[in-house]
Amino acid sequence: MTSRTAKPGRPAALVVLPLIVLALVFGTLPMWTDDYWIRVWTGVAMWAGLAASWNIIGGYAGYISFGHVAFFGIGAYATAILMQPGYDWNFFLTLPVGAVIAGLFALIVGWPTLRLRGAYFAIATWALAEALAQIINTLDFTGGSFGLSTPGNPSTWFFYYAMLIATILIYLLTFLLFERSRFGYKVKAVRDNEAAAQSLGINTTAVKLQAFMLSAALPAVLGGINAYWITFINPQSVLSGEVTDQMVVMTLIGGLGHLWGPALGAFVLYLASTWLGAEYGGSTSYIAMIGALLAIIILFLPDGLIGLAPRARGMKLVRKMLGLSGAPGGGGAGTAPPGGRP
Amino acid sequence: MVRAMQLLIQTVIDGLLVGGLYVAISIGFSLAFGILDVVDFAVGEWVVLGGFAGVAAHTWLGIDPIVFLPAVFVIFALIGSLVAPLIYRVRTSRYARPALMALAFTFGIAMLARGTMLTTVGFDPRTVQTSLVGGTLTIGGVHMPWLRLAGFLFAIVTTALFMGFLFFTRTGLAVRAAAQNKRNAGLMGIDVKRLSTIVYAIYAGLTAMAGVLIGAIYTFTAQVGPQYSLLAFFVVVMAGLGSIGGVLVAGLFLGMLQALVTVYVGADYTLAIVFGVLFVVLLVSPQGVLRRGLAA
Repeated sequence: MTSRTAKPGRPAALVVLPLIVLALVFGTLPMWTDDYWIRVWTGVAMWAGLAASWNIIGGYAGYISFGHVAFFGIGAYATAILMQPGYDWNFFLTLPVGAVIAGLFALIVGWPTLRLRGAYFAIATWALAEALAQIINTLDFTGGSFGLSTPGNPSTWFFYYAMLIATILIYLLTFLLFERSRFGYKVKAVRDNEAAAQSLGINTTAVKLQAFMLSAALPAVLGGINAYWITFINPQSVLSGEVTDQMVVMTLIGGLGHLWGPALGAFVLYLASTWLGAEYGGSTSYIAMIGALLAIIILFLPDGLIGLAPRARGMKLVRKMLGLSGAPGGGGAGTAPPGGRP
Repeated sequence: MVRAMQLLIQTVIDGLLVGGLYVAISIGFSLAFGILDVVDFAVGEWVVLGGFAGVAAHTWLGIDPIVFLPAVFVIFALIGSLVAPLIYRVRTSRYARPALMALAFTFGIAMLARGTMLTTVGFDPRTVQTSLVGGTLTIGGVHMPWLRLAGFLFAIVTTALFMGFLFFTRTGLAVRAAAQNKRNAGLMGIDVKRLSTIVYAIYAGLTAMAGVLIGAIYTFTAQVGPQYSLLAFFVVVMAGLGSIGGVLVAGLFLGMLQALVTVYVGADYTLAIVFGVLFVVLLVSPQGVLRRGLAA
């Protein structure tokens, strides 16, 4: 979180080298694993993206959304409906439609509630998700409780790359917007001290609303890809509260408000759940397990797993040893002011 | 015409009777919020757990669940007094965002409870069997099952007792003081932690007792917890978070609204309409119907 200004030489290599290795591993994954593992990694990518988009409102803006599955479901249904025979839209064109609709829903829900304390927002988003599931259950063009199937089915690697690229874009967007731009500082300022942020001339409600709309539009894209991938959706699958539960838990386990927290949480939890599912079958004990895990993490490890990672303290030492621990560059012209959280 | 009138009256009365139970669920919940400053997402799970306690009393112990009510209160008050210090610890911790973390914590507790129930009991629908209360009271063509009347009566009695506790005892005075301002209450020598444990314990016991009665009136499964949480949320948001008087109005209103929507629009639309009303309330009067809650 320190050293915001660009520095020449070694630290860049410290970041870029692992990224190249990761890109090589994940970029060529379909060439050296079987279909099962490609599907598992598609799942990891999807959940990493979902948790990251939840992290925008939950971690960066400091409002907990307990209804994020609604946006995932909106994206899934937008894609499925537009791809039905009769409409026959191109798959890629359906994704932005879902994102826009999800963003509009976020605007409608966020507008009255983001002015109030967090509990109202949590309740309202939760109510939205429950109500949406019930409405979609009754409507005709959504297939009611029976659901919809999506036509055609490209190969597994198509979905792997689609999910991976979407998730990488989400992380890139999050990084640029929340770690490297004025907007990110505004959002964090509002989160950490709303009154102070307001006194600096920040329109706090607007900033929170923008963050929430972004946080809602992204899962809709992943929901659209997911609908095409699993070829059949219904309210029980894409509007189930468990989707929200997982987003919340993954983010908190990884590290709330950290860029890489959600990815770490998704990686750990998705692989664990896949392993548990293959080993024991039952899925209801999984709900109990992640619930207990969530409670334990909050009680004993509020910073998530990433709080254990060397970055927090160790990396500072590494930088010091490399002679790079100088104060962040004094806020040059045009750059954002230095310093993260107190 | 007469039939239509009768249907309307019947619906309104049905709604009011159910609304009484919503009041019983929400009143402790509202107060627990007032003193812990945390919206407890596990409220619906306390209802369902109470329902299962009623079923267990009947099938395992052979005791009528209505007789078992005081025991349910004691059991869940004990469980609640174990959970409350944990919530209090998270809420008053020095984490970055304690309010958020506490919210997520109760969410985790709710998932733990629901997952455990689903694993042990499964998805089968249950009802609490009672032989003490049965039959229907009919006045002027309006039917009122005794069971629902009993539920309503229970709600009124517990609410009255609760109000008595709040307004006529020293502990109740301390609770109201702490709900208004924890720091000042602490300075006056009130042990806020102990107090929040007491309030949470009472709330858990009360909600579980209401759960037994709800389980006797409606069929339930291990999955329905979130629905009851949603209803409780609706009531307290409409009442204004922390406002006790508003809960009475909002609970009865919700029961009526639900009954009217079910009869005249269709059961599939209840949540959507409830959500719509909630939305308008938040927009127009976030302090609740009586304008006494805390909003910003």
